[in-house]
Amino acid sequence: MAVLNFPLCPIYFQNMLEELLIHKPDDPIEFMINHLKQNNDDGNSVFLHPSKKNCFIFFPNVSTCIFFFSSPQAMWLCKHFNAIRVSQETLLFKEVLMQTEEAKAYKERNQGWILEGFPENQEQAWMLQSSGIFPRHVVMLYAPDTVLIERSGGKRLDPLTQEVFHTTFDWPSDPLVQERLVKPEDLSEQEVSKNLLEYHRNFPDIFHIYQKVLKSINADQPSVDVLSQALAFVQTRHRSAAPFTPRILFFGPPGSGKSLQAELIAQKYDVVNICCGQLLKEAVADNTKLGELVKPYIDNGYPVPDNLVLKLLTERLSALDCLTNGWVLSGFPRDVKQAEQLQKAQINANRVFFFNLPYESIMERLSQRRTDPVTGERYHTTLRPAPTPEIQARLRQNPKDEQGNIEKRLNIYYSHVKALEDFYQDAFYVNADQDPFVIFEFIESCIIKPLPCKNIRSL
Amino acid sequence: MAAGEEQSREYLQRHRLPELLHRLGALLLFHRPERPREFLIQVLERVKAGRRAEGEYPFLLDEANVDAMFSLLDVLGQGFIRPAQYREALKTLGLSTEDLELEDDDAITLDVFKEGMKKKMLESWSVY
Repeated sequence: MAVLNFPLCPIYFQNMLEELLIHKPDDPIEFMINHLKQNNDDGNSVFLHPSKKNCFIFFPNVSTCIFFFSSPQAMWLCKHFNAIRVSQETLLFKEVLMQTEEAKAYKERNQGWILEGFPENQEQAWMLQSSGIFPRHVVMLYAPDTVLIERSGGKRLDPLTQEVFHTTFDWPSDPLVQERLVKPEDLSEQEVSKNLLEYHRNFPDIFHIYQKVLKSINADQPSVDVLSQALAFVQTRHRSAAPFTPRILFFGPPGSGKSLQAELIAQKYDVVNICCGQLLKEAVADNTKLGELVKPYIDNGYPVPDNLVLKLLTERLSALDCLTNGWVLSGFPRDVKQAEQLQKAQINANRVFFFNLPYESIMERLSQRRTDPVTGERYHTTLRPAPTPEIQARLRQNPKDEQGNIEKRLNIYYSHVKALEDFYQDAFYVNADQDPFVIFEFIESCIIKPLPCKNIRSL
Repeated sequence: MAAGEEQSREYLQRHRLPELLHRLGALLLFHRPERPREFLIQVLERVKAGRRAEGEYPFLLDEANVDAMFSLLDVLGQGFIRPAQYREALKTLGLSTEDLELEDDDAITLDVFKEGMKKKMLESWSVY
């Protein structure tokens, strides 16, 4: 949009001018009249605008700024993150309040902060910026004006602790507190609508300033939902353009699709796909030194000892292509001991996935697996049948896919999985009972987005 | 300049929108209505009406103002002003002085002044 420098161009005209330039009507006067008639927002009806926008700036080392309409939200978030809550009232009017003392001390404690109800307009936001305070997250709660007016009618204040309650939605359980509650003074409908009007006038500018870190959350739902959304947002890290080498671990029962997903990811993102079983067999086939050591175990069907596997793995994972492109590993570790050894060997994954699949689906998928001995092609009797009856006749089943063996493998898996889940705290859980591409998209999104931070200090 | 910008600027020039907005702003500041939007709607309606020659344009200066202006210029109370003063007055009001065929000695009386003002103001609004 061209720079529009008009000597006398107040905000009213700015909008109108933008509209004019976008539509370029042949009769600008008529257009302007209609525009003005539509956006009639001054004073002749009850303007149901958000009355008190309380904004929080949550500051874990830098900050998150949240605009809330209800102080309880602020309180909960503060308690959750153990951050300081600063609201305009506390700063300006109640200097002696304990919270203000806390807020003033926040710098020393390096605790982060939540600012509520501030900035209220563009000038304040600019002043905040120029003093070097910029929020890392800004949460804006919106709701239809009718809802807000209604809610503000039920608002009650506890004069002692400055906590806000509501007659319908948030009534305190302690009868002592109930006695104390008073209706806040500035709460006539007039006052509320005036505040709302003010708010709507100022809000677009503030939105513009904090656009990149802002998220709007619908406040017209139960407050726990709002809180969980706000929490999820505040815990996200912003995406950066920093290069990221994925080091992914897949856990899951046999037949859950780990190798398929691994292959899809490897194809799309050029990551090295390592299946542990495959690795061992390759080592044997290539007749490498380690392969020879491993061979007797594989031939007799015994599990290969951990140290050998680990050696093989570390060798493979320290190869140049793995280091530069990243890797996705499935089939290892199978228990916590192996996981710990992996960690000791300095092989750390940055994304861990657990595939979940119900027993029936596992059975269905595995017991119907068939292979064509001539071409090596893999089929499934129901999900991917062989094309011609000729091929179907010669299909064979791998002994490990027999009912009894499947159960054995499953039992082994289930016995270790709980401990593994505890070991890998930040893992993602994938519902493997879906279409492969749906699963792939989910996994993709988990890999591409930065990990949400549970511990705010690490933000 | 990008094509879009060119078009926009050309559009603005064609409909003389900057001037119109300037006038609207001036009217707002002068009258300071309680309900600015409604006021603006009224003003624009009047412009439309004036265009169709159904009513009067929303002039900022009314007749009393023009009289007052004349008396300001005519300090000595002679009953007329010089063309140079006339031109200056028009310029101050932002009206065009191009098609004024006046000799330097002409005496501009109050009536001529008022007529001229009126004509000029009408002209300036009629472009809308």
